[in-house]
Amino acid sequence: MAYEEPVTDYDKIVENCTCAFCGSNCDDVDILVKDNHVVGVRHACRLGASKIMEDEDQRLTVPMVRDENGELVEVDWDTALDKAAELIAGSVRPVFYGWSETSIEAMKPGLELTELVGAVIDNQATICHGPTVQAVQNVGYPLMTLGEVKNRADMVVYTGSNPMNAHPRHLSRYTTIPKGWFRKRGRFDRTLVTWDPKYSDTAKLSDIWVPFEENGDYAFCNAIRAVLKGKKLKQDVISGIPKEDIYELTEKMKKAQFGALFFGLGLTHTLSKQRNIDIAIQLVQDLNKYTKWVLLPMRGHFNVNGFNIFMSYEMGFPYGVDFSRGYPRYMIGETTTIDLLNREECDVFMVIAADPGAHFPGGALAHLANIPVIQIDIHWGPSTELADVVLPGTFIGVETAGTSYRMDSVPIFMKKAIDPPETCREDEWIVNELLQRVKKLREASK
Amino acid sequence: MTYIEKPSISNVVKFEDPDVAKVERLTVMLNTGTDIYQGACKKRGSTLKDEYRKVAGVCYMDPKDMAKLGVGNWESVLVKSDWGEVVCYAAHSRDAPHEGMIFIPKGPWANVVVSPETYCCSDPTYKGIEATVEKTDKEVLLMADLMRDVYKKYVKEGEKTEELPSLGEMPVYKKIARSK
Repeated sequence: MAYEEPVTDYDKIVENCTCAFCGSNCDDVDILVKDNHVVGVRHACRLGASKIMEDEDQRLTVPMVRDENGELVEVDWDTALDKAAELIAGSVRPVFYGWSETSIEAMKPGLELTELVGAVIDNQATICHGPTVQAVQNVGYPLMTLGEVKNRADMVVYTGSNPMNAHPRHLSRYTTIPKGWFRKRGRFDRTLVTWDPKYSDTAKLSDIWVPFEENGDYAFCNAIRAVLKGKKLKQDVISGIPKEDIYELTEKMKKAQFGALFFGLGLTHTLSKQRNIDIAIQLVQDLNKYTKWVLLPMRGHFNVNGFNIFMSYEMGFPYGVDFSRGYPRYMIGETTTIDLLNREECDVFMVIAADPGAHFPGGALAHLANIPVIQIDIHWGPSTELADVVLPGTFIGVETAGTSYRMDSVPIFMKKAIDPPETCREDEWIVNELLQRVKKLREASK
Repeated sequence: MTYIEKPSISNVVKFEDPDVAKVERLTVMLNTGTDIYQGACKKRGSTLKDEYRKVAGVCYMDPKDMAKLGVGNWESVLVKSDWGEVVCYAAHSRDAPHEGMIFIPKGPWANVVVSPETYCCSDPTYKGIEATVEKTDKEVLLMADLMRDVYKKYVKEGEKTEELPSLGEMPVYKKIARSK
């Protein structure tokens, strides 16, 4: 990229803001503000900076409702909220999806609303790390905090994820590059390993790259487990990797003083789904017979883990919780969003702080074209093209303060840097307002 | 600013490679996932813009596969799977070589061809999908046009989406007239 002049024309710097992009939740970001506008960002990565320096052309600024011609028309807040509340109160099987890019504070009234109308509440984990949560329930969770990795780890393995593209500061802030208490020389004291079929941007930086075949992760992890248990490998090549290399890698992993395995959607999106993660977790458990190993899923949104923690704490289930019978139920493949859409079961879909239009498979989105969709978001995105009621929210971490959970389950309070646009409302306020209006409608119909 | 026109990609496709046999249609494995250009553009909110189709409506291919089809960078290809078909730009993958595999960053274009099947695991199958790629003359659609073309939520009966005017790169809605 071309050289850019540093930003010098600003009124104030708001220091130590938390980046509201990925699960790394970098809390050292400085935001440069002029006339209540963000003019620059320091310390953030390309992704974080681009999110904070948002595209104002596409900012949702006013509530909108579709007219009979299928065109969005600006309305006042009362009209839009009444319309949304009417849709929710009149629905039989509503789904409230999203929540991962908003604060824990907004989830509270959301859960109350879900209970009141007997809806399904679900978040983005359903399309990303859902299988991870299932595997954790199957075989356990050898978890750590990222600070432990920074200070202790001498071997870091990434599999099925490409942090240089999805979590750009993960290596430099938490795992590989920083100097730690027991790793005084930083990068030079650590071995970076990538298991990925592609020569990804992370693989290019790694000391060891293991290019197993597509869908070969299950067999490969099992082969390492077999070697760890003292078995001889019968095949010469497993998942495209010669057995000698597997012996060598296993030996290196046994000899590490502190190893950390990070895995991403490459494992959860292939056909073996949660079974891949089962094996990865059991591999870490087996390694602990020899030395200290830990593992962590690379969570995508800054608060996707927060929703799972919040729901587990409040309701006992992490995601895809169904209240249609008046009590919480959780049944993977039954009460999860994609399955509900595939079966064309839901009749009103509310999306808050998420973009199913950009991230759901077409087969599931096809049902959103048949039913009313309520959108609470900050930008005009693919979901807006399918939305019937649009309620503009505010930007958590820049315009509104709130709590979020980092990928290693550390809660972080995100402060605000500027005031939100006058016509927008906080997510918490919007959801609370919907709750009150639905309550009123319910009472009136009794 | 962090705006880019399109991702920078290398250009080493050798159409005259003697090892490459020309084919009309290529059977490949389709993977989707995030990519730094897609992530930056999507989260900034610039999804209606031309930039978004240049970062998410792209089919990253191995240069050998591109030579087989005879497509160069930023030419259109038609990707077909059991679940749909979509027109994308072809581009040289920076993770090459990975012959027989294509990568489309997640977004409305990839959604059309990935499998919604969850096998009762909540998670659709976004990776490892069988697909075919062929050269085409069709244009890659802008995000709003693509959503209208594929899901037809607000298209009236009898209207053909390909004949409608483009929805453009800016939000379209009726504003309330305000007197100041």
